[in-house]
This record gives sequence, C-alpha cells and structure tokens, in this order.
Amino acid sequence: MVLQDLGRRINAAVSDLTRSSNLDEKAFDGMIKEICAALLEADVNVKLVGNLRKSIKQTVNFKELAPGVNKKRLIQKAVFDELVKLVDPHAEPFKPKKGRSNVIMFVGLQGAGKTTTCTKLARHYQSRGFRSCLVCADTFRAGAFDQLKQNATKAKIPYYGSLTQTDPSIVAREGVEQFKKERFEVIIVDTSGRHRQEQDLFDEMVQIQRAVTPDQTIMVLDASIGQQAEAQSKAFKETADFGAIIITKTDGNASGGGAISAVAATHTPIVFIGTGEHMLDLERFSPQPFVSKLLGMGDMQGLVEH
Amino acid sequence: ISGLFRNVVGGKLLTHEDLEKPMRGMEEHLLNKNVAREAAIRLCEGVERSLVGVKTGSFQTIDATIRAAMESSLRKILTPTSSLDLLREIQSVTSPSLASMQSRRPYVISIVGVNGVGKSTNLSKIAFFLLQNKYRVLIAACDTFRSGAVEQLRVHARNLKELGEREGGFVELYEKGYGKDAANTAKDAVSYATQASFDVVLIDTAGRRHNDQRLMSSLEKFAKFAQPDKILMVGEALVGTDSVQQARNFNAAFGAGRHLDGFIISKCDTVGEMIGTLVSMVHATGIPVVFLGTGQHYSDLRTLNIGWAVKLLMS
Ligand SMILES: Nc1nc2c(ncn2[C@@H]2O[C@H](COP(=O)(O)OP(=O)(O)OP(=O)(O)O)[C@@H](O)[C@H]2O)c(=O)[nH]1
Ligand SMILES: Nc1nc2c(ncn2[C@@H]2O[C@H](COP(=O)(O)OP(=O)(O)OP(=O)(O)O)[C@@H](O)[C@H]2O)c(=O)[nH]1
Ligand SMILES: [Mg+2]
Ligand SMILES: [Mg+2]
Repeated sequence: MVLQDLGRRINAAVSDLTRSSNLDEKAFDGMIKEICAALLEADVNVKLVGNLRKSIKQTVNFKELAPGVNKKRLIQKAVFDELVKLVDPHAEPFKPKKGRSNVIMFVGLQGAGKTTTCTKLARHYQSRGFRSCLVCADTFRAGAFDQLKQNATKAKIPYYGSLTQTDPSIVAREGVEQFKKERFEVIIVDTSGRHRQEQDLFDEMVQIQRAVTPDQTIMVLDASIGQQAEAQSKAFKETADFGAIIITKTDGNASGGGAISAVAATHTPIVFIGTGEHMLDLERFSPQPFVSKLLGMGDMQGLVEH
Repeated sequence: ISGLFRNVVGGKLLTHEDLEKPMRGMEEHLLNKNVAREAAIRLCEGVERSLVGVKTGSFQTIDATIRAAMESSLRKILTPTSSLDLLREIQSVTSPSLASMQSRRPYVISIVGVNGVGKSTNLSKIAFFLLQNKYRVLIAACDTFRSGAVEQLRVHARNLKELGEREGGFVELYEKGYGKDAANTAKDAVSYATQASFDVVLIDTAGRRHNDQRLMSSLEKFAKFAQPDKILMVGEALVGTDSVQQARNFNAAFGAGRHLDGFIISKCDTVGEMIGTLVSMVHATGIPVVFLGTGQHYSDLRTLNIGWAVKLLMS
C-alpha cells in the first residue's frame, strides 16, 4: 500500500536512533540521511526532501540540546510533524449538502483514473443517500462515453453524454442543466486527460469549468507518479484551482511520494484514495491518523499541536 | 549542476575524496530528471569507479570529466545490443525467404503494461505506422475486462481504416466482447489472421498491477497461447521509482525462456526534460526502448534518438 514501506523505513530509522545507547550527532545525521533516502525512493520531490532535511535539523538543533531534555521524544516529534506537514495542508475540503445540487468536476493527467473514480465517487454518495449522477464531458478519448456508460450502468447511476457533440463544454453544460432540473444532488462531471505542456487542453478545461461552475473541482493523481507531480499539479492548481485530490492505484506497489508532493505543492487535501479497479475500491482519507498509523506511533497524536 | 562541479582545473589525479561531493550533485541531478534512485546510484557508482585514479585532461575540470563519463555511460546503457528494425523482422515472417523453408504467417505483437499507461493508444499508433507501410493489420481486442476497452479499439479501428486505406494498408478489429479469457481470444485472433492472410496481429491486453500475482501469472498462459513474436511493454514517462519494479515484474511474467522484447515509453510529451523513466526501465532489465509515445494522436510515435535523450538528461 501507498507509503507503507516508507513508513516502515522511517519508523525503523527513528527507533534505531532513539534506542541506540549513544545518541550522538553522527547517529542523528545518519538517521536524517536514511529518512531522506527513503523519501527519495518514494518519489517525494527532491527539493521538498532537501527542505525537510533542513527543517528537522533546525528543530532538533542537536548541538544545543540541553542535557535534561528527552531527545527521543523531541526527534520523534520533529519527524512526525514534518511528515504531517507534507500530507496535511490544513484545508477543509468541500462537503456536498443534501437538498441542493452539488457539481463536482474531475480533472487530471491522461490515464490517471478519472473516469473509473468518478463512478466510484458517485456510488459512494449514492449509498449515503444523495441522488447522484454522472456527466461525460470527455469527447476526445476513443470510447470514453462507452466506458462511463458501462460503469454507470453497473452501478445503477444515471448518466449523460453525447456520441456526436464534439465540444466538451457544451455537453457538460447540457448534462449539468438537465440533472439540476431533475433535482439531482451530486452531479459529477468527467473530463479528458490533459497536461500542462498543451495550452489548448488547459484552455478547454477552463471552458468546461465556466460552463458548469462546479462547487468542487477534484484533481485525480496516479500513486505512481514521479518528479513531474509537483509541476503538473501546480499548473492544474493555477488554472483550475482544484480543492481536493484523489490518489488512485494505491493498491499498486508505488509509494505515492509524488502524489504527496502534489499535496505539499498545492496545499490541497487528499480526500479519497482508490484501492482497485472495482466500483467499491474507494477509501476516505485523512492525513493525521494516516501518518501516525504509518509510523506506528498511535501515541504520537498527543504530541501534535492543533 | 555547474556550481557543484567547479573546482580543480587540469592534470589532476582523481581520488574518491575529490569525487564524493560532485558525484552527490550528479546523483541529485539524475533524481531531478526522474531517474529512479536505484538506477541513479548505480550509474554514479559506475562513473566514480571509472574515474578514481584517472588524471583529468589539461584544462578539464572535475565537473567536465564527470559529465563526459556520465554521458557516455548513459549512451551505453541506452544503446540496444541488437537491431530494432521492426519492419524487416515483420518482412522476414510474412515473406520468408525460400531458403528458410518457413511458410508465411502473420507477425504477432502484444502490448502489456500497468493500468492507464497508454497501451491501447500506442497500439493504435503502431497500427497506423504499419498501415503507412501498406501492411494488412488485425487488431485483437484482448482487454476483455475494462469498461469501454472494446469500444475504444473499435473507434480506433474505424478511424484507422479511413486513414490507412488511403495509404494502401488494411485494418480490421477482432473482438469477442467482455468477460472472455484473454489468452483464448488472442489465440483465436491469430488463427483467424493466418486464415485471412493478415501480415500483423496487434494484441491489446488489460492493464494490470505488477504486484497482482493472479493477473501477472495469467500472462504466462497468454504468451503460450498467442505465441507473440514481440512482447512490448508500455511504461509511462510520468512514473517514478515504481518503473523499476514494473519493468522487472513484467519481464519475469512470461515464464522460463520468454521475456520482454522492448519498451514503449509513453507520454514523453508530459514530462519536459524529466525523461528518467526510460533510463530506470532499461537499467532494471537491459531491455531496449523500441518506441516513444509523444502525444495522443496516431502520428505521435517516435523511435528513440539516443543523442536527444542523453542531451535532455544532462541538461
Ligand atoms: N489497480 C487500480 N487500477 C485503477 C484504479 N483506478 C483506476 N484504475 C485503472 O486505471 C486505468 C485508467 O483509468 P481511467 O479511469 O480510464 O483513467 P482516466 O483518467 O479517465 O483516463 P483518460 O480519460 O484517458 O485521461 C483503468 O485500467 C482503470 O481500471 C485503482 O485505484 N487501482
Ligand atoms: N499526452 C499523451 N497521452 C497519451 C500518450 N499515450 C496515451 N495517452 C493517453 O493516456 C490515456 C490512457 O491511454 P490508454 O491507451 O487508454 O491506456 P491503457 O494503458 O490502454 O489503459 P488501460 O487499458 O485502462 O489499462 C488516454 O487519454 C491516452 O490518450 C502519449 O504518448 N502522450
Ligand atoms: Mg477518462
Ligand atoms: Mg487499454
């Protein structure tokens, strides 16, 4: 699972250090080195890792540590805080409300898992009593509408799309208007994959967004993404100002550090993670319990300032 | 990187101590290019080993010496050891020489990889390339799992029919819908192609996680049934460290004596200069890069220009 190996390694590095009999500066530096290596192997952005290294060093400030101070606790807390900072942007994601229409638009890179995930999310809300539906505004990818249609049919969720209209913002507007009229509560709009290097595709995203004025835009990120994560997610943030992230394919082997770097780069929270190809493979996500579970430090909760 | 490497000029006998810091800079440079840490470290170790005890050329900085050594080691690992002339290989199977005593049969290519990397799209680009060379191409829809996978290929086949027939080629889709066993469908497609004298069969497969035992092990049966001449794996340029394990696990999935024949590195247009994935995958397996995917259109397929790749990696 995402970040599990990373967690194990970081945890081991911290406890090796704090258990060792002479906790000197060299050992402390060794621990930091090991943590950074683990983060880099997990695809965390190279610059972020550099900052984290500095930050832990500064907080702990090994040279000036007073003799009486509990070093173990101090170091654990510094590492934990830095990791929480990486995944917890302290931003509250949008929550749909019953009795009104909530429009959610999906954006992301090609093949990230948008179409699959938007059905999962529609089903998630449907099972919690929201009247949910799907709009296919991907008029580019071959078979995109068939894919959404087949998923929606399996999940018994109403859908809208067009096999002839080539302008995605027109399909999006028509679909959302129709579903609003029919008093649907969660209306999820799927869009084509795109990337920052192609301006036309970004312009198209803006047009769709204008056409449907979503209450929430969600960026979908593949857990295996590497060093491009930061630049891509920043560009999507600047253009579409998404308010939440969903990480997909966390059932794979990837550590997810690239996707985590996107959180740090855009100060946007992860709200769900995708854990498989099937309809029910979606889990809620919240950062702090995640990091403490990850580090096997259930008792660290008390150390964190709110 | 320049800042880290600016030091001694000319005629210096290099020691481990001289190299340690600039090599760390080089490692970080490669990581920034999205080369997996494992590959970056090994490349750097190799370069360092080759340089300890060597005298820098006159007026040559340590920086320049390391750069030159890294460039040549990248060039070396990216250079395939045997010819990658796909068209000639196809020719030798579809029009065997008399001397070989082989009967003509279709050339079979199958495309594998993890979910969403671009298998179906790049398969369609390869079909377009073959149609431009006037081949008769059968596309076999053997992703019988993912919603819309069959319709996706149907649309591509329809588009390609129009484009391809203008070029003198011919294309058809072979499909048996969803839920069927992929290996069986592939086998049937190949028999059909033999009867109907197609030149090439392109087999699409479902995306699968490389750590999913069940799905990975079904690839062995698939290879046995389809008997592909070439198994190409699509690796995505966006992927980070996981690319190493993806390449290794797929390379090992086809049973004893069968491995991957090449990589297609897709979505190169989405990563700018960060093209390290191709280094990671080749480094992990020694399997060459056959094509690069550089966009979402049929013509966005390139062969690997090693000079171009090394230049981007060192920029
Ligand atoms: N293993 C796994 N596969 C997933 C997950 N989410 C999506 N996929 C697979 O990833 C592939 C791509 O998913 P899509 O939903 O088509 O991706 P997309 O972002 O809509 O793609 P484009 O519309 O082409 O940009 C499919 O094979 C999905 O089955 C997940 O959480 N786990
Ligand atoms: N920018 C860019 N996009 C690409 C490239 N190759 C494929 N894509 C896009 O990536 C997305 C996924 O492509 P597919 O061909 O459906 O991927 P796949 O591996 O067959 O996916 P599954 O069958 O679901 O596992 C589509 O939106 C493609 O247009 C490429 O070289 N560049
Ligand atoms: Mg889609
Ligand atoms: Mg496919």
